[in-house]
Order: sequence, then C-alpha cells, then structure tokens
Amino acid sequence: MLEPLEETVQRAAGRCDYAEARRVVRAAERIDTRNGEVEAVDVGESDGIGVRVRRGGAWGFASAREPTAAAAQDALRRALAVAEAQPAAPAGALAPVPPARGHWESPCREDPFAVPLERKVDLLLRADEIMRGDPRIVLVHGSCVALRTTRAFASTEGAACTQTITECGAAIAATAVADGELQTRSYPGSHQGGVAAAGWERVEELDVVAHAPRVAEEAIALLVAPPCPAGIETVVLDGEQLALQLHESIGHALELDRMLGGEASYAGTSWVSPADLGSLRYGSPRLNVVADATAPGGLGTFGWDDEGVAARSFPLISEGRLVAALSDRESAAAIGLPASGGCARADGHTRQPIVRMTNVSLQPGDAGSLDDLIAGTDRGLYLETNRSWSIDDRRLHFQFGVELAREIRGGELGRILRNASYAGVTPRFWAGLDAVCGPSEWRLWGVLNCGKGEPGQVMHVSHGTAPARFRDVEVGVA
Amino acid sequence: MTSPDPAAIAQRALAHAHGGEALVTVVHERSLTSRFARSRPTQATAVDDVTVEIACVRDGRVASASARGTGDDELRAAARRAAQAAAAAARGGPGDYPGLPGPGGPPHPHDGWDHETARLEPSLPAAALRSAFDVAAEHGLEAYGIWTAGEVRTAIASTTGVLAADAVTDVHLKVVCRDATGARSGYAARTATAARAVDARAVAGAAARRAPAGERATLPPGEYPVVLDAHAVGLLLEFLGALAFNGLAHAEGRGALAGRLGRRVASAAVNLSDSPSFPGTLPRAFDAEGVPKRPLPLIQDGVAHRVVHDTRSAAAAGRGATTTGHALAPGGTPEGPAPANLVLVGGGARDVHELALPVERGIYVTRLWYVNPVHPKRTLLTGMTRDGTFLIEDGLITRPLRDVRFTDSALRILDATEALTASQRLVTEAEHYGRRHATGVVCPALRARGLRVTGATP
Repeated sequence: MLEPLEETVQRAAGRCDYAEARRVVRAAERIDTRNGEVEAVDVGESDGIGVRVRRGGAWGFASAREPTAAAAQDALRRALAVAEAQPAAPAGALAPVPPARGHWESPCREDPFAVPLERKVDLLLRADEIMRGDPRIVLVHGSCVALRTTRAFASTEGAACTQTITECGAAIAATAVADGELQTRSYPGSHQGGVAAAGWERVEELDVVAHAPRVAEEAIALLVAPPCPAGIETVVLDGEQLALQLHESIGHALELDRMLGGEASYAGTSWVSPADLGSLRYGSPRLNVVADATAPGGLGTFGWDDEGVAARSFPLISEGRLVAALSDRESAAAIGLPASGGCARADGHTRQPIVRMTNVSLQPGDAGSLDDLIAGTDRGLYLETNRSWSIDDRRLHFQFGVELAREIRGGELGRILRNASYAGVTPRFWAGLDAVCGPSEWRLWGVLNCGKGEPGQVMHVSHGTAPARFRDVEVGVA
Repeated sequence: MTSPDPAAIAQRALAHAHGGEALVTVVHERSLTSRFARSRPTQATAVDDVTVEIACVRDGRVASASARGTGDDELRAAARRAAQAAAAAARGGPGDYPGLPGPGGPPHPHDGWDHETARLEPSLPAAALRSAFDVAAEHGLEAYGIWTAGEVRTAIASTTGVLAADAVTDVHLKVVCRDATGARSGYAARTATAARAVDARAVAGAAARRAPAGERATLPPGEYPVVLDAHAVGLLLEFLGALAFNGLAHAEGRGALAGRLGRRVASAAVNLSDSPSFPGTLPRAFDAEGVPKRPLPLIQDGVAHRVVHDTRSAAAAGRGATTTGHALAPGGTPEGPAPANLVLVGGGARDVHELALPVERGIYVTRLWYVNPVHPKRTLLTGMTRDGTFLIEDGLITRPLRDVRFTDSALRILDATEALTASQRLVTEAEHYGRRHATGVVCPALRARGLRVTGATP
C-alpha cells in the first residue's frame, strides 16, 4: 500500500515545504431491520488516496479516486495548484514529530465480516419480534454495523506506516405512540453507542435480545408517565447521557483549532482560550478528564493519527483544572507547544485531517456502584439515554433531553417521568459535579456521528464515563 | 486523468447484475472548497471522486453494495455482493418493498449546470477570499468562512428501464465578520448554481453590517415577537420537512401531520411546496430511484395537503399512494423520504425592517445554530441564535443582543406567522457531509408571534 504514497511524496519534495499522502481502504456493512422486516442491507467498499501539501502558509489538499501512482501524482498536482492559488498567508511552523514507521491493528477476536449475514439478520429479527406485539408500538428498529478501515500514510518527513481498525456493534429501539404522544427507548444508546473497536464479540456482549423486552415496556410506560416538572434538581446522569455531555461541553470546547478561531464560521469557537491552559477552573475537583488514543476498544484509538503522530494519552482536566487541549501539529505549534496532541483525523480519502477528539473520558471516581450513588442521593432525578442535544457555538449554553427520567426519593429510584430535559452553562454545570461512580461502572460509549469541518467530516469517537451526580441543575426546560 | 462517464459506468455495472431487479447509481463529484479564518486561507480541498452503488431487490428485500472502483472486476464484485446480501435478507421471508419503479417519463429540464462554474478554477475562490478579507478590514473586522463549488454528475440505470442522467453545479460563499473577541460577529451567505451570481464583496459587506459595535443587550426567558431572516426560516423548514412531510413516518403514525392533512396547520399566509425547478433553487431532475421530480404543494393557505413518498413509503401508506419522487436512496432509507427543494412563497413586506415595524419589543434573528428536535411529533425544536442577533424596539432593529436559546415548535411558528418579505432567497448550510448533494430552501424572511426563548448564552 505504501509504494505509490512514498513515490508521490518523493515527487513533492522541492515543490512544497511539506507533503503527505494517505490511502484509505474502507469496508462497511450495515443491516437495518424494521417492524419484522429486513429493511436494508448495505455493504460497501471504497479505496482512494488523499494528498496534502503545504506551500508557504497555504495548505492544499486533493483526493484521487483510484489507488494508483498515476492518480496519486495527479492529486499531488491538483493539491499544489490549489495551495498556490491561495491568498498569501504567513507560514507558521508545524510541531515536530518523529517519522511514523510500522503497522498497527486494533484487536478483533472474531472477524465480523466472516459472520454470515443470516446470523446477523436472525439476531436482529429475534429482538424485533420481542419488541412488537402491543399496538401502541408503531416502530421497532434494529441495526448491526461492521466497519474495517485500513490506512497507509507517508510524508516528506520520512513517515511510512499502515494501520487497520475494525469496528462493530448493534442497537435496538422501540417507538410507541398514543394520544398524540410519542416515546422512544433505545439500547445500548441512541447514537450507536454500542459500537466499539472490536470484532463480532462486541455484538455478543451487547446481547440485544435480552434487553428487547425492557426497551419495549419502557417505551409504552413512558406514554402515560407524568411529564418531568420544571425546577432546580440534583441529577444523576447515566453513562450514555454523560458521554454526550462530555462530548459537547468538554471535548469540542477543548479543540485547539476552535480556540484559535479556525472553525468560527461553522463548528464555532470556544469559551476557553489558549491562555487558560494550566489555570482555568473548568469544574469541581471531582472532574478528571483524559484524552486517550490508546484505550482498548475506543473508536478514537489508533496507532498514529492522520499526521503520523503516535497515539498518546494525556490529561485534559485534572481535579477540575484545565491542563491541556486537543491539538494537531499546526495548532500545537501556533501556541508554542513542543508536540502535537495527536488529534489530527480525516474522514476517508476525500477529506484532510483536522483537529478531532480521540477518546475523551471522565475518569472514574470513588462513589462506588450506581446503586451506591442512588442510595446516597436523598432527592433528585436519574436521567437515562440521550434524546435531544444542542449547545451554543462557544460550547457554553447547552440543553439536553433524555429518553427516560426516574425520580430519586430517599435514596431509591421511584416513578418514571417522560420528556425530561435539562439545561446549563458549561463551567457552572461541571462545578456542580459532586460524585462519580467507580471503575466497576466505567465503560466506553461510542459516538458515530460527530460532525465537523467543511466539507463535512463525520468522525467516530468514544467517551469513557461512569454515572455521576450534579447539584443544582435546571430541569424541565423543554 | 480522463473524466469518467457516469451513464456508461452505470450501464456496464447493470450488465453484471443478474437474477432480479437492480438499480445502479453512479455519481461523479468534482469540488473545490477554500476555508478561511482571521482573514487568512486555512484549508483548500479539491475532491475528484466517483462512487458506484448497486441496489438489488429479491422478494421484496433490498440490499445495496458500493464498488471499490469502476473497473469491470470491481463492478462485478459489487453486483455479486449486492445480490448475495439481498438473497440473504430474503431468506427471512418476503419483504414489503414493492419493486423498483419503471421509467417515469422525461424529467423536467433545468438550468442548474453552469459551464464556467464546472471548470472549478482555483483562481475563483482566491479572488472571493481576497474580496472578503478587504471588506472585513474596511470595517475593522476579520473574515471567517468558506467558498465552495462543485459539479456533480449523476446517472441511474435499472433493470426496470430507468436510464437517467443529470448534471448540476453549485456554489456557496459564507462570510462571518467578527472582531478578535467575538463580541461583534455578523453572518451572510449566498448560494447559487453559477459562480458569477455570487458577489463576494456584497456578501462580506452584509456580514460586516450585521456586526455592529456596542454593548450587547440581554433578554430573559419568555415569549417574544420575532423576525426571522431567510437563513433562520430555511433551517426551520428543513426540520419541518423531515418531521412533518416524511411519508414513512406519517404512515406509521409518527409524523407531525398524522391525522391533520386537510386541516389548517399554519397561518393562511403560509404556502409551502417542494419545487425542484423553481427559479433560484438547486434543481434536481430525479430522485434516488430515478423518478422524475415534479412540483408538489405541501401547505396551501395554511392547510396541510400531503406528505412526500418514495416507493417504499407509498406502499406502506396504501390507499393508492404512489411515489412523489422523494427517495433518498434506492429502496428508501430507514429514516424515510423527505422534500429536498422546499419553497416558501413570499408575502408583501419590503424587507426585514418593514417586518419589524409593528414590533414593540422583540428579536431579529439572522442565523440559527445546532437546532435539533426535542419532540418530533410536535415539531418541537431547540437551538441557538448566532452571528447577528438583535433587539427590536418600537419597530426598529436597534442593538445587538446576546445569543438566545429557543425551544419552540416549527409548526407553531408557522401558525403564528403574521407577515413575510416579498423577496425570497436560496439558503443552505452547504455542509456536504459524505457525497456532495447540494440542497437548499428558497424562502423569505418572516415575522411571527411569541417565539419561546428558554435561555441565553452568558
């Protein structure tokens, strides 16, 4: 895979200050079932090359639809042309990186592409059948996803590496309608949260069939549940909702390109500035967040990022204080950091790398199990599974809805409530964090739909969380 | 590199599909995107990519496969994978897909392809960026944004006799003018099918005028009269399209118009259609199943008339429903069909200033951001304003306002609509995730009663 790439970057030498070439081969399979039917089976492959060059202060990127040396060199020609046509800009440095060499693969015990399609369909249809029956259930949906991406990377700085990542997971959901009300429950989460960097064993771990009865029962129960009242409450967030809270109000806010204004016209900026690194109080002392591109099973786990920077793990927030940001080589150098954070990632061969999350995770605390945390909460709400999400373009004011809320009274879970929502302002919300469950409750949640960049790029990331408790939260806002 | 012929590839691929119905979609995208920030170029992307997808139908089950390349071996492999997947799906019993549509007659001709734009000269974005930088500097601001243009050629061939080809171009310039702190931030954009229709100085000037100096006012939660500029209206209509006019959700009782067709759902001033050849829109000749596009009234004088269908949702709806040419994928997507060329008819107001005249105290919104459904069946949405939110006081748009969060129903806003501007604009976010498929909404600005504000950014 590397040969046409190395040839291309050799040809680039002397025509630009820096060049890199990347080949991306993807295989994907997705099965959707709906109301007892196999709704769709999509199997796909793609293969192409992207070439990025830097000339003066201008970048140029071009993609090629064939993985040949001739196509790669045509992409190099077009990348040089678009870089040359850019208005003049000052040339900043790139943070140094040792040349990436070798091969890396994510763990995969059972190849999901070798599992017969019929077995996957059977699994989803068994869950589907269990969820149907009550006439108020108007839609049951199941999906199973397998992805394999092989990347090769070469640069004018001597990088030449390859890596293969396999991802797999499954999900189910039931939607009930009655009297103008619509309620959906899903498992394991509402954003394909069960997908991990793993093989078919991941789907077996999830055991969607075992969860199907509860999913349908809760969707029906929500139809007649009382609405979540408005007020100021203590809330306990389940791991899945907390993962999205972390994603939106910490992960994106700590992308260094946003802090520097590079995404101001689309994804937005950040309420955090580079000058805050090392000093800003982001949340309570219970708040410990890491960016870990080495976490087993994470969708943000790799051997090297898309600039050839080796995967690393580093703290972003320690005991509530901001210590680092997510960076690539250009943004790191722009604020004088000695090295990239290794967060440059590209969506396929037609997109160039930009600053993305890896696995941004909340470290487990000392609050024990979820049962322990609930038992230690006199009054509040336990909020499960994201339903809606929105945050402003500086990642400050947010509003989330969840599929299901349960009252907490006297340290016990009580009746369920529907249409629950909460809102807040990022540093105030995280200042209210007063308990995080321990390692036994901590797990990685996948997010397959993280969008950023122009043209748009979709990235897969994971967030490790354990259920956590927050004080004085505004609820019932929607 | 030679330019591929999508129709020829589609027919070659179809020749490899045996044993049942099949439909091949070939898309050749060429595009150029230049991003900028702090009045400097930041990223420049040139895409030249061909995708080939083969959908096979067996006993009412649909499966599709994309090819790794355009060579005969790769096309044959993709056809085999699609057929195997469809056969495997069919082993669970016959499905509900009624079969691929046949030729639907000649598509309406459109003028959505421009020769000059299709050349994608790198000098075009460079000139636009320089203009934006100059205008921002004249106002003491910096320019952030994107210039992007693309040519997309699509061909569809099916065993049921469809052989259709289409070519479109699109260009989009977005400029945000802001100061170093972001306290002043104004947005403007222009989208068209031809690059010559986009005046970079005019767009940047409009953005700069929406970023005035001065202390930003704050507004507590409550209900306020609102003037929504066209971009904000367009985003609300896009969500409405997915939540209310989706024929599959409607057939399943999940849609916002379930039980409400034929009834008034919006102000009598609201006339909404899906019009793929309307002047100023981003036209399309056919949908993803090769069904020719036709204009379709959705709301007339405030009364909801119909939802949109693909072949699958029409079958689910029964009662003689047929596809309206709104398939987003062959066989339909799990999400269902959606309108792609929404057009909201304008009213009588000259501009947003005239819309603001009757408002004693309200809000003028230029851009919405991060809008998502809270309760789909009620079209209840939440989102933020950004890059130019203003207070309306005693009929005048007076001073900048801190961004606010709204949580409100799109249908309720249309029901509370009092007036619209005469002029319409094509608006889009031009996000272009995945394969480029430019869409937009043609709409005016409007004034509505009682926008529900539920928060504000600090």
